[in-house]
Formats: sequence, structure tokens, C-alpha cells
Amino acid sequence: MRSQWADRWVRAGLVVSVLGLNACAPVRVSSHVDTRTDFSRFKTFDWGPADALPAGDPRLDANGFFKDHMQGAVERQMVLKGYEHAGEGDTPDVRIHFHAVIRERLNVSALDVRQGFCSGADCSAGVSEFEEGTLIVDVMDARTNQLVWRGWAQDSVGDTLKNQDKLANRIDQSVKGLMGTLPGRR
Amino acid sequence: MRRRTAIVGAVALVSLIGIVACAPMQVRTYVPRDSDIRKYHTYGWAPTGAFDTGDPRLDNNTIFIERLQSAVERQMARKGWASAPANQADLVIHFHARIDQRLDLKSVRSGQVSEDADGGPLVYDAGTLLLDFIEPRSKTLVWRGWAEGSVDGVIDNQAWMNEKVDTAVERILAAFPAMAVPSAAVASKP
Repeated sequence: MRSQWADRWVRAGLVVSVLGLNACAPVRVSSHVDTRTDFSRFKTFDWGPADALPAGDPRLDANGFFKDHMQGAVERQMVLKGYEHAGEGDTPDVRIHFHAVIRERLNVSALDVRQGFCSGADCSAGVSEFEEGTLIVDVMDARTNQLVWRGWAQDSVGDTLKNQDKLANRIDQSVKGLMGTLPGRR
Repeated sequence: MRRRTAIVGAVALVSLIGIVACAPMQVRTYVPRDSDIRKYHTYGWAPTGAFDTGDPRLDNNTIFIERLQSAVERQMARKGWASAPANQADLVIHFHARIDQRLDLKSVRSGQVSEDADGGPLVYDAGTLLLDFIEPRSKTLVWRGWAEGSVDGVIDNQAWMNEKVDTAVERILAAFPAMAVPSAAVASKP
């Protein structure tokens, strides 16, 4: 009897700690790079043509805040990496495009089984749907218009889209993470 | 008799675990009955327009596309095939890459997780890579090969993805006929 109670407490503690983990779980970031490209010849950047920058989701497409904040965040990271914004009327070395995609994904929580807290018929697998957001930043060689680098960040979106502060925070965190693997100039 | 059943059971179990544990790549080909590949000598690439892969990381990702094309070109060269511009090639290749999320129904059954779920992913990304060889004038399919398998975590790791692409292409084209005549005799490269 006692051990059953102990079990429950351990379980509750685990659930709490997992919830805590989820709340501040790092955004998943990665990238692909064109290995034949010599990034040291790139110095200046600019944005791709405005009409080529759809956010990819109606909730974000109409959201001027998303675009502005995103551009600001990317620009900050580019400057930190030693790139310069091309001057007015100058042709940049690279052009940057970004877009966001939001899609429904499935998740199965089978934590209880893995932790050995249940067996057989006691185990229920919670299959749930969640919205996964993917933020993509493309760097194109302005001369050849070829993609030379693509970075992305993926995370569960939750109620981020409804809260501007949360959205701003998430954008900053994602952009900082995904831009981390772009070859820098310093 | 009983022992034999036990052995069969053990073998079945082991192979089942093998399937679940590493979800091996499945490779298939389809060749229309009347197609005769010996008639053809050169191949080219059909233009790659925007294509929907089901995964935002791969959509219009030319880094991925070029890797895939160079893997195909390497295998075709090994088989003695010469490449040519699309408007002159005897055959053009169309490729499709697709990623879908799958639910492992062996481990999740009617809302319950079975005990033998061994910590492998219950939800995973399954990838399909398909190569179609088309006769451009008649637009008929001459040869089709495809590979399917789990690509969970693969896209996020470029080196792993490259390896996976190379393996898939090599295995798909393993069944593609090699050129009987050395390509040098046929190729008219500028």
C-alpha cells in the first residue's frame, strides 16, 4: 500500500518535471550547407524581393509584426557574424529569404511505459495532435541565385501566435539558434 | 513438434524485433511489360519545378536536390550510361521525394502501448524516394524504382542525409540495367 503511494508521488513528480521541461525546451535547430561554396567571398547581404517572402501561414502572412521582428532578428545575427547590410542600390553578395510553415503533427506520449510505471493493460498511449512551426532562413548567392545555406528551427507552436511577446521571444530564440551554424566572417 | 514451433516462434520474434528496431529500407522496382531499356543510350533530367515533399526543410531545397542528382549520376556512370541535355536524352528522369509522419501501429494498439515497445519511436518520419525513367517523346514510363524507410532525425543531420540518399539511390539503381556497349562508344559529349 505504502509503496503504491510512493509510486504515485514519484509519478506526479515526474509529470511535473516533464511539464517544466516542455515549457522551456530548446527549439530544435539545424541546417544544410552547399559544401562547394566558399563563404569567405560573401560580405554583404540584403533581403530577397518582397513578393518572395510569404510567411506560409495565413495567421502569419497578415502579421506585419512577424515579418518586421523576423527581419530584425536575422539582421542582428548577420551583423554579429561579420556580414554587412548592402548599401542602398548596391548589389549584395547574398540575398536572404525566410518563411514559416505551420503543420499538424502527431505525438505519442508513452512515457509511463518507458519509465516502467505501468505494464500491459494499465498503459495508455496518449496520441495527441499539435501544431509544429518551422522557421526557415535561406541564403542565396545573389550572383547565381543558388541556395548556398538553409537553416531552420522547429518547435511546437502552441498559443505563441496569439501572444506578441511570446512570438517575439520565440523568434529571437529560434533565429539565434538556427543562424549559429551559418559560416561567419569572424 | 513443440520444439519446432518454439524455434519458428523465436525466429519470427527476432525478425520482428529487427524490423521494429532498424526499420530497414525497402526497395522496389516496376518495369512495364513492354519496356525495352536496351533501345536507349542516354539519360537527362526532367526540369525540377517547385515540388511538395511534405517537409518544409526539403521543399525547394536545391542543396538536397543536387546531392540526389549527383548520387544518381554516379550510379548511372558506373553502369555505363551517358548523360545528355534533357532535350536530347533518350530517357529523362523525374524524381519524387516525400516525407510523411507515420504512427507505429505495432506498438500503439487501440490506445494501449504494448509491453514490447522497446523505446523506439512510436511516431516517426517515413521517407519515400522515387525515380521514374520516362521516354520523353511518347511520355511513357520505362522504368520505376523507389525506396522507403524511416528517416527520423535524418534531415536534421546533413552528413547522415547524404549517406541515406547515396544508399537509397545505389540500392534503387542496383536493378537498373547496365549498358552493354561501353558508354564512350555511344556518348557524343562536346
